[in-house]
Amino acid sequence: MEMKKSRKIILTVVGIIVAIYTLFPFYLVVMNTFKNANNIVADPVGFGGVSVSQLMANLSAVVNNSNFNFWYAFGTSAVITILSLVLLALFGGMAAWVICRNKTKWSTVIYMTFIASMIIPFQVVMLPLISTFRDVGQFVGLSLLQSIPGIVFAYCGFGGAMTVFILTGFIKGIPYELEEAAAIDGCSPEGTFFRIIFPLLAPVITTVTILNGMWIWNDYLLPSLMLGQNGKVKTLPVAVQAFVGSYVKQWDLILTAALLAIIPMVIIFIVAQKQIMNGMVEGAIK
Amino acid sequence: MASIRFKNVTKTYPGASSPVVPNLNLDIKDKEFIILVGPSGCGKSTTLRMIAGLETVSEGELYIGDRVVNKVPPKDREIAMVFQNYALYPHMNVYKNIAFGLNLRKEDKNEIDRRVHEAAKILDLEHLLERKPKELSGGQRQRVALGRAMVRNPAVFLLDEPLSNLDAKLRATMRTEIARLHQRLDTTFVYVTHDQTEAMTMGDRIVVMKDGIVQQFDTPQVLYDTPVNLFVAGFIGSPQMNFIDTVIQKENDKLYAVAGKNKLAIPKFKWEALAPYVSKTVVMGFRPEDFLTEDKRTKDNSMSVEMSFSELLGADYNLYMYLGETRMTVKIPATGKRPEKGPYEIAANMEKAHFFDPDSEKAITH
Repeated sequence: MEMKKSRKIILTVVGIIVAIYTLFPFYLVVMNTFKNANNIVADPVGFGGVSVSQLMANLSAVVNNSNFNFWYAFGTSAVITILSLVLLALFGGMAAWVICRNKTKWSTVIYMTFIASMIIPFQVVMLPLISTFRDVGQFVGLSLLQSIPGIVFAYCGFGGAMTVFILTGFIKGIPYELEEAAAIDGCSPEGTFFRIIFPLLAPVITTVTILNGMWIWNDYLLPSLMLGQNGKVKTLPVAVQAFVGSYVKQWDLILTAALLAIIPMVIIFIVAQKQIMNGMVEGAIK
Repeated sequence: MASIRFKNVTKTYPGASSPVVPNLNLDIKDKEFIILVGPSGCGKSTTLRMIAGLETVSEGELYIGDRVVNKVPPKDREIAMVFQNYALYPHMNVYKNIAFGLNLRKEDKNEIDRRVHEAAKILDLEHLLERKPKELSGGQRQRVALGRAMVRNPAVFLLDEPLSNLDAKLRATMRTEIARLHQRLDTTFVYVTHDQTEAMTMGDRIVVMKDGIVQQFDTPQVLYDTPVNLFVAGFIGSPQMNFIDTVIQKENDKLYAVAGKNKLAIPKFKWEALAPYVSKTVVMGFRPEDFLTEDKRTKDNSMSVEMSFSELLGADYNLYMYLGETRMTVKIPATGKRPEKGPYEIAANMEKAHFFDPDSEKAITH
């Protein structure tokens, strides 16, 4: 009993330390949005110069800054994220279903290819990816770089592996008899997917969508490479770069813009965290 | 018309070295209630799934009515199927589950509503129509599965071990309900089970299968009274038939079955069939109830056994005993004194004795 109690205390202390360590950058961002640039440089960690009026001034400066163009960047991020998530859920679900139900050696090879792609770091493929996108774009006569369809296509590729991996685990747990019953009831394979399988995937698709959504919304490296710093199409994380000059970094505006970018995802995560856990566990044990 | 006919049908799974169902020939009449019964892996479910169109036919022809359906998809076979695990769509309520097939066929909305409510009324599901499957008990789920099949007015009703997930009491209730449903719908039912009690109580005719081969296809009574081989004799009936190795002896123009020190007189009507087996060993079979009360015991039907233990089933005793090394189960009315452990004399009803060839395992006479 004593052992259990002391173990619990140790685990709690470790948990608190890890939480502080993880939340510290978030604390820095939030705290410094309440300060002006001078106070941030003078006292980045403490409470010196914190005021709500300064926060309002920072927010106003960020939203009204013509170089940053907040609403346009916000809209671009939203379109790219939503399009990518819809396509990932749809095609990821289809791919996982076919891989699961059509057991051939090829389906195993394809599945293993998906899994293998998860272990390749993005940084290894990013430069060849850009040149390939440029070449393919020129070949088919479409601009894949500096365009929303191009980056959505790239996100579908990068997010596909994890989506298929998680959905495959879940589909294995769906009794095959449901599909047989649907076939007897008169469902085509497409009908079976959209009427039976896809609705049953709802909990795990919500989880995958939130996980993919947080990554796509917050991603900086891929859009900065594919859309460019000076391109017309900019996502929120890339647009924040407008406040970073060669000689002057406007930390008050950078951090306020970062906060504005984070807020939607924080809200979604708080609302949906139970759903995320359920989806993860269901995928794991079914 | 929904007769079903298997003509030289073979089913081999891809990569398998031998067929799971080799050369099946079976004629199921319109409106019959047929039971496919056999141990696990005997091919009964595969046979049912071939009728449903969920398994392809490797060779031969399968007819539903006058039509060869080898290449006809499940939805066009005029069949409905009830699965072992019910296969209800978890995200739909009971109403939508039952109406699903009709909606896909784009039936008139009012007609769908009428049929769903009619089925729900028959199956006592009217108060559950808004519930999701997870909110139902096992028996209620099974009734929803039956309702889903019913509303389609299928020509053939296929049921794959539909009661195996239910507890004993509910199983007995649902057995009656399904039999009643068959009478009401007046259509062909094909029912797969490994439970011989279900087979005996529900079917017009029973197909006993083993290793993909039909052992016997007949009415429950014929199967029980005159099993064609040792397998059928052992599979049908609970507790199962007792098998005793005996030697046929001829003395004074009479035939006797000799098992150890016991010598049992064989009735005259069985002599002709057993004549070729004189001085040879055969397998003699007795149903547990084919034993006589003590007052009918004679030296020609008496067997000396060692009583092991007995069970009181209310109206009867199940007596477990040994004849030499052979274990036997005997069922006697629970009227007299409960037999005690130790040496015991029991009278076999030799009129009901079955004899089997030990090599071919085929029945010699009943």
